[in-house]
Amino acid sequence: MFEDDFYRSSSQYRHWSFTETSLQKLRATTNAQASERVRAALRRAREARQSANSSAAGTPTPTQAGSDADSKAGGADEKEIECLTPEEELQLVKYYCEQVILVGESYKPPLPTVVRATAIQYLRRFYLTNSPMTYHPKNIMPCAVFLATKTDNCYISLRHFAEGVPGDTTAEDIIAPEFVLMQSLRFNFDVRHPFRSLEGGIMELQSIAQGTGQPAPHVPHQTPDTLRRDLLAVPPTPGSSSSSITDRLGRAHTTTRDLLKTAAQMADAYFLYTPSQIWLSAFSLADRPLAEFYLDTKLGPQTDDNNNPLTELRSKIYRTLTNCASLLQSYKSLAEDPSQKATARRISKKLYHCQNPEKANNITSAGQKRIPAAAAAAAAAAAGAGGGDGATSESDMERMAKKRKLEREQKEKEGRDLFGGELVAQRTKD
Amino acid sequence: MAPPRASMAHRGDDDEVCPVCKSSRYLNPDMEFLINPECYHKMCESCVDRIFSSGPANCPVAGCHKTLRKNRFRKQTFEDINVEREVDIRRRVMQILNRREEEFDSKRAYDDFLEQREEIIANLVYGTDVAKTEANLQQYASSNVRSIRANQALEEKEASSFQEQQTQEQELARIRRQAAKMEYENERRELIAGREDVLARLASGRPADAAAIARQGQKVLLKKSSARRSEEERIRQKQAALRNSDAKMSGQPAARAAGQDDGGFIKGLKRIKTPEPEKPYDPFGGLVPGKRDYFTQSEYYPSSYLEPIRQNAQMQAGGFDLREYYSRTLLEAFAGLGCFIDEEVAERDSAAPLGVGQPVPTTGQS
Repeated sequence: MFEDDFYRSSSQYRHWSFTETSLQKLRATTNAQASERVRAALRRAREARQSANSSAAGTPTPTQAGSDADSKAGGADEKEIECLTPEEELQLVKYYCEQVILVGESYKPPLPTVVRATAIQYLRRFYLTNSPMTYHPKNIMPCAVFLATKTDNCYISLRHFAEGVPGDTTAEDIIAPEFVLMQSLRFNFDVRHPFRSLEGGIMELQSIAQGTGQPAPHVPHQTPDTLRRDLLAVPPTPGSSSSSITDRLGRAHTTTRDLLKTAAQMADAYFLYTPSQIWLSAFSLADRPLAEFYLDTKLGPQTDDNNNPLTELRSKIYRTLTNCASLLQSYKSLAEDPSQKATARRISKKLYHCQNPEKANNITSAGQKRIPAAAAAAAAAAAGAGGGDGATSESDMERMAKKRKLEREQKEKEGRDLFGGELVAQRTKD
Repeated sequence: MAPPRASMAHRGDDDEVCPVCKSSRYLNPDMEFLINPECYHKMCESCVDRIFSSGPANCPVAGCHKTLRKNRFRKQTFEDINVEREVDIRRRVMQILNRREEEFDSKRAYDDFLEQREEIIANLVYGTDVAKTEANLQQYASSNVRSIRANQALEEKEASSFQEQQTQEQELARIRRQAAKMEYENERRELIAGREDVLARLASGRPADAAAIARQGQKVLLKKSSARRSEEERIRQKQAALRNSDAKMSGQPAARAAGQDDGGFIKGLKRIKTPEPEKPYDPFGGLVPGKRDYFTQSEYYPSSYLEPIRQNAQMQAGGFDLREYYSRTLLEAFAGLGCFIDEEVAERDSAAPLGVGQPVPTTGQS
């Protein structure tokens, strides 16, 4: 089928489509690698701290309380750090995906649905190969939304955008992980959404209702009149009052759109199914007889003729749509299920302890050299401030930052001694 | 008074008599005999003028009813009329059967062809199976017009290039001869001058130096001649090199026109593969533009959302076409409906076990 080949050429199909097992495997691998790295990093941090403590032992410092806490944390570190499981990671990412929708609401006018959906997909794609333990979703999420406004042709200036983001995130914080994000997206900015597909389907159904429907190429015996008659003969959904076909289509349209906005975004639908399958299964959830009628107009009525290639295709499509529909149905929004919020909070707390300390505040300094050092420091301060009840790791992080700064200065000095330093580094300083 | 040479050459026999008008050379020493390749009957020039000036006529020789034309009459080259006839036949057959050696699969095939040609010539000369042989020959000629003509052109070209080469070589030889002559002259002059010089010095010098001067003069002469000889050698080598490259250039086989099927008359011809005719260029690579498998797009779709745009002249003026929107939404509605990711991606993954198409977990170190 031509349309299928059309979709096969997209980057979404080529790079971002998975089977359920391969998706699971990928997430498990990502999680395993990240946990290992977190453990190694924490061990290194502990050793560094111990050596620092031993050297600073002689001089009484005003940060006595901090080092007390340090030693306490050190005691906790003695046993193996408990990292997030892939499931927990997924739930955390999902929580932040919900946040994307809320962020989108905070603008005037609110961000278009497509932008939010794209941002959510960026986040989901990003966390396929990155762990929240490495990059906190809190930092990545605004960046994903901002990137989505750009790729979906709805650009707002960074300053204006930063005002809408809750909390005291600055423009620099938002833009900081942009390169890391784009790199993890493999620079595939194109996301195929089912929204426009839905509009197309509804549009055609409406034309059928008005008696101007065109027969599908593979079912040539249809005429506009038979199509219309069949559409009017579609049995009503159980439990709904009989109404005009236009109203019914409108209702189905709204329900499907809501499903696509939420359930399709939060589940793994984009990874496992194609946009066409997603909107049709959402449509079948909204109005099953209507969806079946529409598919029949495209694939011909059910036959027992095994030689007909459409028969096989038809049964496969129905199977896929059923699977996809059950996936969409399994979604529960935050409002429906308040326990999710509690879970997210719990995971967030746990993440606080197993966050990779070497990554927490240095997206800018390690990932890219485009943000001035002041912004990086601000990012570090923000990261520290965001961490609720943690004087311990705040001082931890400060120490880490100081150590890294020293190293960097040393490197710069060496560079200047030999060949006058690197050009890029100098420009960053300027 | 000596008679003209041309008439001398033809005076094989003083008593030669024209078989038509019975006039003899004895009475008319300038008489020329002509023959026509139709029947090879000899007659004198005045008879040809007399009989055939007013158009084609029958041969005047008794018993020969061939119709002859004046323009075909020519002088006899060979004294023996049979030889003349054979040469004519040979020339005609060779013109038709002018296959070249490089057109054959093997030397053997070419030899067979030569033998076949000789056989045909012999048949025609000695009158065995003439009708059949002629028919074969005509058929071959008509079905191979193109290759015959191509080979003729090649032959002509070769002949002319051969001639050119010949004249060139002659010219070169002339130049060489001239150069050699001049060289000889120079040498002689120098020798004499050298001797005179030595003599003059001997005359003006002291007797004691005589032996030394004589030796020196000898040495100078020798040196000059040896220098000349090396110069000569150099020129000769250059010329030889030039000749070699010329030979190589003319030795390259000329391009040949594609042969035709001659109906199996000549065996062992090389199969000439005619290249497949190129198909017309398809810019879409087999894709039919506008072809859709799940829907047929119509000109208009009712939609309360799109209706204002349809009515809006400002939007239409900018070139916006709602059909673009229709085709895009409908295409996306079905794009990928038949892509079963669980099957296709699994297949793809198994085909590329190294995970080429897969995102790899980043190290997080970047």
